Amino acid sequence: MNEMAVRAEGLGRTYGTGAVAVDALVEVDLEIESGQFVVLLGPSGSGKTTLLNLVGAIDVPTAGHLEVDGIRLDGLDSEGRTRFRREHVGFVFQFFNLIPTLTALENVQLITELTGRDGSDQARAALEAVGMADRADHFPAALSGGEQQRVAIARAVAKRPRLLLADEPTGALDLETGRRVLDVISRLNRERAMTVLLVTHNAVIAEMADRVIRLRDGRIVADTLNPNPVAADRLEW
Amino acid sequence: MRVLTVKLRRDLRRSRAQVLGIVVTVFVGVMLFGASYDAYQSLTASYETMFDRVGFADLWVTAAPEGLEATLAADPAVEAAEVRHTVDVPFRIGDRRLVGRVVGVPEGATVNQVMVLDGAMFDPSAADQVVADQHLARAFQLEVGDTVEVATPVGWRPVTVVGIGASAEYLWPSKSRQELLALPDQFGVLYAPDPVVAAAGPAAVRDVVVRLREGVEQDSELSRLATLAMAAGGGDTYTRDEQPSNAALQEDVQGFGQMSFLFPVLFLGAAGLGMWVLLTRMVVAQRAVIGTLRAEGMSRRQVFFHYLAYGVGTGLVGAIPGAAAGAGLALVIAHAYTGAIYVPITVVRVTPSTPVFGVLFGLVGGALAAWAPARRAMALEPAEAMHGPAPTGRGKVTLVERVWPGRLTAEARLVVRNALRNPRRSIATGLGVVLGLTLVLVSWGMIDTVQVLLDRQFRQIQQADAQVAFLAPPGDLSALGRVDGVAAVEPVVQTPVSIVAGDRTYGTILWGFDRDTTMHRFLTASDDELRLGDGLLVGVDLHDLLGVDVGDTVTVRVGPTGETFDVPIAGFVDEPLGTQAYMDLAVLDGIAPQVASLARQAMVRYRSDADPDAVRRSLEATPGVAAVVPTRALEAAADEYMGLFYAFVGIMLVLGAALAFVLVFNTTTVNLAERTVEVATMKAEGVSAAQLARLITVENLTVMVAATLPGLVVAYYVAAGFMASFDSDLFTFTLHIRPLTFLWTALAVLVAGFVSQRPGLRTIRSLDVARVVRERSV
Ligand SMILES: Nc1ncnc2c1ncn2[C@@H]1O[C@H](COP(=O)(O)OP(=O)(O)OP(=O)(O)O)[C@@H](O)[C@H]1O
Ligand SMILES: [Mg+2]
Repeated sequence: MNEMAVRAEGLGRTYGTGAVAVDALVEVDLEIESGQFVVLLGPSGSGKTTLLNLVGAIDVPTAGHLEVDGIRLDGLDSEGRTRFRREHVGFVFQFFNLIPTLTALENVQLITELTGRDGSDQARAALEAVGMADRADHFPAALSGGEQQRVAIARAVAKRPRLLLADEPTGALDLETGRRVLDVISRLNRERAMTVLLVTHNAVIAEMADRVIRLRDGRIVADTLNPNPVAADRLEW
Repeated sequence: MRVLTVKLRRDLRRSRAQVLGIVVTVFVGVMLFGASYDAYQSLTASYETMFDRVGFADLWVTAAPEGLEATLAADPAVEAAEVRHTVDVPFRIGDRRLVGRVVGVPEGATVNQVMVLDGAMFDPSAADQVVADQHLARAFQLEVGDTVEVATPVGWRPVTVVGIGASAEYLWPSKSRQELLALPDQFGVLYAPDPVVAAAGPAAVRDVVVRLREGVEQDSELSRLATLAMAAGGGDTYTRDEQPSNAALQEDVQGFGQMSFLFPVLFLGAAGLGMWVLLTRMVVAQRAVIGTLRAEGMSRRQVFFHYLAYGVGTGLVGAIPGAAAGAGLALVIAHAYTGAIYVPITVVRVTPSTPVFGVLFGLVGGALAAWAPARRAMALEPAEAMHGPAPTGRGKVTLVERVWPGRLTAEARLVVRNALRNPRRSIATGLGVVLGLTLVLVSWGMIDTVQVLLDRQFRQIQQADAQVAFLAPPGDLSALGRVDGVAAVEPVVQTPVSIVAGDRTYGTILWGFDRDTTMHRFLTASDDELRLGDGLLVGVDLHDLLGVDVGDTVTVRVGPTGETFDVPIAGFVDEPLGTQAYMDLAVLDGIAPQVASLARQAMVRYRSDADPDAVRRSLEATPGVAAVVPTRALEAAADEYMGLFYAFVGIMLVLGAALAFVLVFNTTTVNLAERTVEVATMKAEGVSAAQLARLITVENLTVMVAATLPGLVVAYYVAAGFMASFDSDLFTFTLHIRPLTFLWTALAVLVAGFVSQRPGLRTIRSLDVARVVRERSV
């Protein structure tokens, strides 16, 4: 029996109060096994990002219980959440958000330093893992979008988190580039047994997941296991 | 956090032009602080050392009665009390004449000793030996062995200069408190054996000079001894703080003290604002990055200190060399200054705390400037990482457009909306203009004020061209009237007096003029003209200093003769130089006949077409005349120095322009950086760089022009406050700024502002659209 990476019960998130209140997430019960590659699908505004942010301790639930990597997140204060993020999760966003004045290596190293590891070996290894070792000393402006996103992934996984959270990581990329990025993520999932929670609009991407969760209006409307995940380089869209 | 440091360094290097501007501004501010504060310290130390060496008195009692010195010497607070005499008499040196002063130095004097710089001290028993004061010697090229003639009632008497000396009392050659700004070729001092001076007759004033014991409570002991001396019949007393030379020098020293405050405030203020603008922009541009770092586990504290470090680092980079340069410059200033006014002793006091404070200013200033942006960065949520680079500011219909009669053109609307889109930035641009205006107007206002005051004193109030001193009190003045080029002659009496009202005393000069004199106009603060009557007209400061009003009776004690009389105050005059007293000569003659005849001189006005030097020579050749003193020489001297003053304004103009530059340049580049995507898009759509530059120029100029009026108001009040700190009974420093000065100052700063934005605008041309798109945030 695998341990649980994520355990949510009655999880809810309401933005605002009174007449303008928006229920972004309603009564979500969810368990995700450690090492699973989970894709979150759903139309715009369905609550995908909200769920991801709750799991990543970027956001705080307004209802329910949430446990990630064995740590209770509901009720954690801001400092506790910072410590949790530092130790347990890595993020990949649609925008790469690399620091333009730092090289690829330095961008990665910054995080390893911040999380109290010394660094440059781990950073190099992370770049190696995403296939960007040969571009380590290039500045972001000299990299393509896909390359920048791979550096961003290296940045997220350099500290060896148990959980990788990716919100539309290919949203700003073309097909071919997107494939390579997804390939990197799925390899990290397999080789490091890292749990991956990936948000996308694109149903095709779901084919590479172990499990697909569909959201609508803040609720889980479907939750299916995928017996034969497809390799990233064979995705077509 | 090595990589964070790398990020900081590279971020700063990316904005190096703006950062350099800030660093240089901090450097200049800290340097000027260090220089003026250490110069202030060194000057104070130089004077203190000199004063100790020569036993500079703590208290003077003039017209002291016999025996007072013994009473004072016996007082437990007194270290020494000595008698010495002074007499003001005409000197003849070659064919030049002046009214000088002979100061007696008793044998074995311990108080107010003369420091001999060249030659030797006189033989105390010799009647014809003197030591010439250094300022007199310099003005008349006197050397040891030269002869000077001193006027006596029986004619010119030659004495030999055996030495050149300096005294703490005449370090700055002031004639009296009321005549602080005597010119060295119009007033000078000879030091002679005291018995010789004492024998000079009724004009000789008997002083007791007092030095306190060390460690006694200065203020209370001085006022107790002064009261004691006055009760014993002394004519007047003054303390070291009030002593003319010292008072004059203190005004200067105080000026350095003031500058050491004003400079850092202005410069660090500008640098801080520049940093604030730059960093605020940086935080906004990096919000997605900050969000990502926060998501990855960077704590709020780490974010806060990272951005605080930009300010602190920049501040230190400017402040550390600034503090070092300031210490060096202070040495140069101290030497140059003491050299320029011939203080024989220069003590350079390098206070270790001054550079430490300078560095601290940079550090604290940098931290303050970075505080708000760092707080803002700290408050950003990790979720910011999910937003792309957000556009800054909102477009909206502005108040200006709503109140504008009629419709603005599209271009005008764009300008107005952009100017108001980021109020923070527009405020910084405006403050740059305000700071620049302030620095320029404070210095220019000082010169305008001096010129206006000189004009009031020497053109509107004083109507005579020369004051004539006689060898013996003259019978009648008709001989002077007959001299070619003389338009008018009037008798005048000038004497030191003490004015006593209740328990308050004020030492000043009493003038006796003809009742309907044409040599002096008595102007009140509201420019009404008063006439001499039976009462006393006095300077308006006495209203507060003595607590008297028109109609109150005061007691006047005449210094040299000791004559005392009561007289009512008839009115207050407002005069820039000094706070003096005036009465009808005939009335004075009736109640104090001795001084009226002893101190009798003449005022002469020249015909406007006459050559002043020729008339002066003719007057001096008239029998009985000892010296002819031009009364407007001070004004002429000031005119001569105007070039220097304007050079000073020029420097301040450069510094003021630099202040404006730092902020306008920064805000312009930041403005463009914030709109990089917008500008790149417009460029891509075919709007030319020149068109874009014009839009932004108009926008900046709009903000700068709008800031000019409030800026001038602020600058005016700062200048007025600065000026008021120099205001005293001896100098009326009321700020006067000529209308044209406002205009030129505003124009100069606006031109500086206009020029300052040019380098920023160049980025439009060099904007790399490809890179903008790739990095998304710049
Ligand atoms: N800070 C907020 N304040 C108010 N409402 C919010 C906030 N964040 C999200 N919402 C609302 O919550 C709902 C869910 O938003 P969420 O961002 O999770 O959707 P999503 O599924 O990620 O959509 P997309 O695919 O467009 O990114 C939306 O209706 C959104 O408008
Ligand atoms: Mg989303």
